[in-house]
Amino acid sequence: MGSIRFQGVGKVFGGKITVLEDIELDIAEKEFVAIVGPSGCGKTTCLRMVAGFEAPSSGTVSVSGRTVTAPGPDRAVVFQQFALFPWKTVRANIEFGLRNKRIPAAERESLIAGALKLMNLESYADAFPHQLSGGMQQRVAIARAYVLDPEVLLMDEPFGALDAQTRVVMQEELVRLARRNPRTVLFITHSVEEAVYLADRVVIMTRRPGRIKEVLNVRPIRESEDWDRFQKIEDVMDLESFVHLRTHIWKSLREEKGQAGV
Amino acid sequence: MNSPPLPFRESFLYGAAGLFLFVGLWTLLSVTGLVPRQFLPSPFEVAGRFFFLLTSPFAGATLPEHLSASFMRYAYGAVLAAAIGIPLGLLMGWFRLLDDIVSPIFDGLRFIAPIAWVPFAALWFGTGIGGPVMIIFAGAFPPCLINAYRGARFVEPRLIEAARMLGTGHVRMILEILLPAAVPSIIAGLRVSAGLGWQSLVGAELIVAAAGVGFMMVQAQGSVQTPTVMAGMVAIGLVGMVIDILLRRGEGWLRRRRGLEA
Amino acid sequence: MIGRRGWIGLATVVALLALWFVLTTLTGQITSARFPSPAEFSASLTQINTRGYAGAVLLSHAWHSLLLVLMGFAVAVVTGVPLGLWMGWNRRVEALVNPVFLIIRPIPPLAWIPLAILWLGLGDAAKIMVIWFAAFVPSVINAFTGVRTIDRPVFEAARMLGTPPWRMVREVIVPAASPMIFTGLRLSLQASWTTLVAAELVGALVGVGFVLNMAQQDIYPGMILVGMLTVGVLGFITTQALGRAERRALAWNVAARD
Repeated sequence: MGSIRFQGVGKVFGGKITVLEDIELDIAEKEFVAIVGPSGCGKTTCLRMVAGFEAPSSGTVSVSGRTVTAPGPDRAVVFQQFALFPWKTVRANIEFGLRNKRIPAAERESLIAGALKLMNLESYADAFPHQLSGGMQQRVAIARAYVLDPEVLLMDEPFGALDAQTRVVMQEELVRLARRNPRTVLFITHSVEEAVYLADRVVIMTRRPGRIKEVLNVRPIRESEDWDRFQKIEDVMDLESFVHLRTHIWKSLREEKGQAGV
Repeated sequence: MNSPPLPFRESFLYGAAGLFLFVGLWTLLSVTGLVPRQFLPSPFEVAGRFFFLLTSPFAGATLPEHLSASFMRYAYGAVLAAAIGIPLGLLMGWFRLLDDIVSPIFDGLRFIAPIAWVPFAALWFGTGIGGPVMIIFAGAFPPCLINAYRGARFVEPRLIEAARMLGTGHVRMILEILLPAAVPSIIAGLRVSAGLGWQSLVGAELIVAAAGVGFMMVQAQGSVQTPTVMAGMVAIGLVGMVIDILLRRGEGWLRRRRGLEA
Repeated sequence: MIGRRGWIGLATVVALLALWFVLTTLTGQITSARFPSPAEFSASLTQINTRGYAGAVLLSHAWHSLLLVLMGFAVAVVTGVPLGLWMGWNRRVEALVNPVFLIIRPIPPLAWIPLAILWLGLGDAAKIMVIWFAAFVPSVINAFTGVRTIDRPVFEAARMLGTPPWRMVREVIVPAASPMIFTGLRLSLQASWTTLVAAELVGALVGVGFVLNMAQQDIYPGMILVGMLTVGVLGFITTQALGRAERRALAWNVAARD
């Protein structure tokens, strides 16, 4: 349950623009995979195909062995723009997916309480999204996704719209969440540090048409160096093993930009 | 939002089907006598009547003569509304005191439908040209004023600060900073004005006038000449459409010149 | 708390009222054949409230007009908003309806008045029909635009959460489009009043527009002013009521709270 598989996936927009070419990727159950790449390399398209918002032009995308055809609550998405329902309170936003899954009211109550607690939102349950800061809104969005207990969690630059400080807090929180409640996560980001800090594996993509250039296995390094003993991201970022990985990815991405002539 | 636009061919087919249904239903109701022909002439009869009226007089004049009488009044009223509304709006946008004095009067009068000025208009300016012109003015004036005011009031404050720093006086500030900055908003207001003015004209002519399309329609209504009434509606719709298209063109041209998207 | 703006506004109104009194009553620069003096205005108001004018007292004229506007407006909203939502949702519906809409739309609602009178006479039905036509167009257009401008992520979030169709309409599309829908309703309401007054001026047996019509024929400036102010007050009351409903429905919306 919860594996993601890209088999020979390509995507062409409008019959002309090839965005993705020949993507082969297997994500195991409860694995956290981050995709980094230059702008317009199609990394978001990868995520949107798993979510079922876009169909591949060639090849197949499957989740837990079933080919993806449409969106569904088994693949919860956390959007960069939060995409909360502004007319619903925090509680109603979190409840919405549960109601769609026809979960009885009593059970919903306890699930919502759990999700609110998990994301430290208890005192904001009856607030409307516009009354919350960006970071709080994204917590709600994550709670809304987590509460569905989805097979996979798709995060599309979830912290891209946050300020630098909030971003760090959210990254640290997500690490705690991911280590405590592991889920299959596909995480799209611009930030190399974020990818190395959060993910088990980091996928580096080429510029358009996007292909997989390199896959880095971060997890063995993290476990052997025991990164998780640190509470703060800056302590991890100072480690030689972290710096080494980060520099490697930077160089790899820099090559891509160089080819684009920037 | 949800689905991509239809291909041209498909959208054309649907559009044609819609029109066909509309005209077909209308014809059917009329020809079968489900609705007495006296009250619902067929589309062809209306079209025939329209062309007949182009050359033959009804209620004292041919359709083009009625239209030109209407259009004269319309032009007077609309030009007057723009000539007073736009400068007043700009001045209100610059001089706070004027704003504070005029706004309450304007806000009070706003709730009185322009057409309710008909009795006073007739009393003060007669039913020939003056009365109808005043009613057109009443309809067309508010958007001119409001949009010029908003355009001037919400000019990018940096522009005003820059002009102040350069030692700009009141007159030059209004003419060379506020007016150009407010032009897009003013043009949008003119379009709304044009539509409302045209509609007020029709109302005015239905109630008080001895010539014009509205007058022709009332006369036709009195003698139960439904085809003539409907031909008048067609003529009013056509002229209104032409006015709107011309102003849209002007607006598009202006926005492109300004480097805004059309 | 009135503030500077409020004081100036109050002063303006007081000055205007004083000017009205001075010009009509003291100096007589404005004759009562042109505009009523305050005394004449109040006499007209008393007359229509006690003995009645144009066949009824003011309150029953106003009540009748209000009912017609509310009915025409309600019919337009109930038909127009769903059509607009549907057109926004389904490109095929849009393609089907749009050309017909484009043909009918340029005809100003007031131009339907003679036809409505031919079809339905001088009674209430003709007025409701014209108000319906007048208020229908803004309802449709704004509901349509409301759906088309829903942020894609909001819509995708709903799909991702597995929302069934009916719930999608009720809990996502309608609320997301509601700020635009209310914009449309405000325009519709305005159009409703304009149209009703015009229709009653052209031909009616009761109503505020009919009061205006009679007063015009009687060359009775005091009563004309009474009629106009009544139109204004009714417009104000209904606009306020709609604004209140809007604020209540859109409490979640930041843009609505200024």
